[in-house]
Amino acid sequence: MKIFFDSILNVSVPDPDDARRRRLLNILMLGNVIAALFGLLAIIIANLVAQKFSESDAQVLLGGIVIITLGIMGIYQINRRVSGRWAALLYLLLLTLIFTFTDSPAQLSNGRSLFLYTLPIAISSLILLPEASFLFATIGGGIVAGLALSINQPVNFFSIIGFFMLALVSWLSARSLETALKDLRAINANLDQEVLDRTRALTASLERERIEAGRNQAILNSIADGVIVFDKNWNAILANPAVKGMLSMPLELIVNKNFRDLIEHPRLASQSRSLLYAMIEHDTQPVGFRIIWGEKTLSVSAAQVYNTRGENIGTVTVFRDFTREAEVEKLKSTFVAIVSHELRTPLNAVLGYAEMFKEAVYGPMNDKQVNMADRIMKNTQRLLGLINDLLDQAQMEAGKLTIHNAPLRPAELLDTLHGLMDKTASDKRLRLTSEIDDELPETLLGDSARLQQILVNLVTNAIKFTDQGEVRVRFLRTDDTKWGIGVEDTGQGIPEADLPYIFDTFRQVEGATTRVHGGFGLGLAIVKQLVNLMSGDIKVASQLNTGTTFTITLPLVIP
Amino acid sequence: MSELALIIEDDEDLANIFAEAMRGVGYEVEHIADGKLAQERLKNGNIPFIILLDMHLPHVSGGDLLAEIKHNKNYSTTTLVITTADARMGDLYRDQADFVLVKPISFVQLRDLTSRLKPR
Repeated sequence: MKIFFDSILNVSVPDPDDARRRRLLNILMLGNVIAALFGLLAIIIANLVAQKFSESDAQVLLGGIVIITLGIMGIYQINRRVSGRWAALLYLLLLTLIFTFTDSPAQLSNGRSLFLYTLPIAISSLILLPEASFLFATIGGGIVAGLALSINQPVNFFSIIGFFMLALVSWLSARSLETALKDLRAINANLDQEVLDRTRALTASLERERIEAGRNQAILNSIADGVIVFDKNWNAILANPAVKGMLSMPLELIVNKNFRDLIEHPRLASQSRSLLYAMIEHDTQPVGFRIIWGEKTLSVSAAQVYNTRGENIGTVTVFRDFTREAEVEKLKSTFVAIVSHELRTPLNAVLGYAEMFKEAVYGPMNDKQVNMADRIMKNTQRLLGLINDLLDQAQMEAGKLTIHNAPLRPAELLDTLHGLMDKTASDKRLRLTSEIDDELPETLLGDSARLQQILVNLVTNAIKFTDQGEVRVRFLRTDDTKWGIGVEDTGQGIPEADLPYIFDTFRQVEGATTRVHGGFGLGLAIVKQLVNLMSGDIKVASQLNTGTTFTITLPLVIP
Repeated sequence: MSELALIIEDDEDLANIFAEAMRGVGYEVEHIADGKLAQERLKNGNIPFIILLDMHLPHVSGGDLLAEIKHNKNYSTTTLVITTADARMGDLYRDQADFVLVKPISFVQLRDLTSRLKPR
């Protein structure tokens, strides 16, 4: 029904105002036709019942109805096909014309039908133009005045003024209606644009997110490290495929499960289990540690994830397969142990036999033979020293070299040093002197073997690079918390440009010096690493042809 | 009568050098190169005046032999000298032996030490 009426009444034109006016006109005309049909029915019924109308009257009435109906049909066609404005104008003129013939001139100009002319005024502002109300006020006023004059009656100026007042009100209301509608349409249009823009932005952002997520997933899938993302309750929310191979279990047994379930897995070594529990139970996580999972050694590192408000929302845990590295390390330390034993033992034998020659155990030796035995011993000792350095270096690189602090007497360190080095110094006609600060406690905590190694290393170096004068070893109390070792020589010194590199592994100042003095330049690198392991610091000061001073500062702990 | 020195050392050359050093200062030297054999020897036979014990031995380790010697009252007067190539290990046993010598062990050093220990 609605569709039927809409199809009759609506006129499809692009301008919504025009469409609205044309539809309004059609509604009015439809109303008129219906009213005319009712009128026709009334006339027929009245005639049948009371013979009220004369035949001529009925003819006039019927004629009027036919004219109105035909006129309206014509105007309807114009309204639909040609122009809403013209149709409205014609309709209003038709309406005005019909009104002029519906009553006597007296009633029309100054009586009961005077109001009829207000209708075109009000309607015109709605269906033609807001300003058109004035046109029809003028037409209505003109007709009323004309009719009055035609029957010699005074013109009803008040009603004409009333027409114009009505025209004014109609104009204003129609105009504000149109303005309001325009505004509304503008708002609607804006709203539509806004919705469109928002939809586009949302689509774009969803697309971006999809691409981003795809890229992240691709990165996650392609990295060799196992990555598990946990929420703040340690439920696994994401795991990449590498995890599967690393833990030798399907991802379904990992994702959406709590990490504690995984930690209880029998494949995990018990010590590793406590490490992982420590990781999840402490807010601060260790930088990285290793766990044993079945046959595999995995390194674990964890980073907490925070949202923009700084709240902890979970943890990203990265597992790296360290099995091979762990095997290599184990091999390396085994190698070091074997080398340590297997190289030192035969060298010890060489040394012992050379000593036996020198000591003439199997009969007297001449000077040349003794001298040769001496040379065998010296070279063997050099080789032993070198092996020790290499082993220390290897152990340090493997992180195996540790410091064992125990109470020690600094004076004993110096006694041992003299026992070991006095002869080397006197062989070069150098003095080896030592002194201890009175402020230094008689006993303090330290690793005597490693301190001895440091002293021997520095003093050997000092003797090696000094041709005349002395080598001084001093133990000092730096302050309440520190003590120091100074080794000072009167040797050739180190060029300033080389000072920054002297603690580097396998480095000796100038290539040629290696050949003169021997050694691979590991000594100072080992000394520095040992000092660092003791939480200490080593500095060097040197002046060419005047001497060099090494100063070690160590934490002072009194047992 | 010369004192008995028992050298438990798997390296023939070192054992030879140690033996020469100690013979030179008047010890009667007995050498065992295997941990298992040393274990048997410690249970029977003469109580040596001094034992030179290497920590790195085949079959039975020097540590095990050390524990057995410490528990055996017969060895309460025996001087125990531990020899090892590992300075760390040497530190560990310092309290349990009379002397700890870290390899390389000098012929002269051993000769002088054992000479000093010998009763006059």
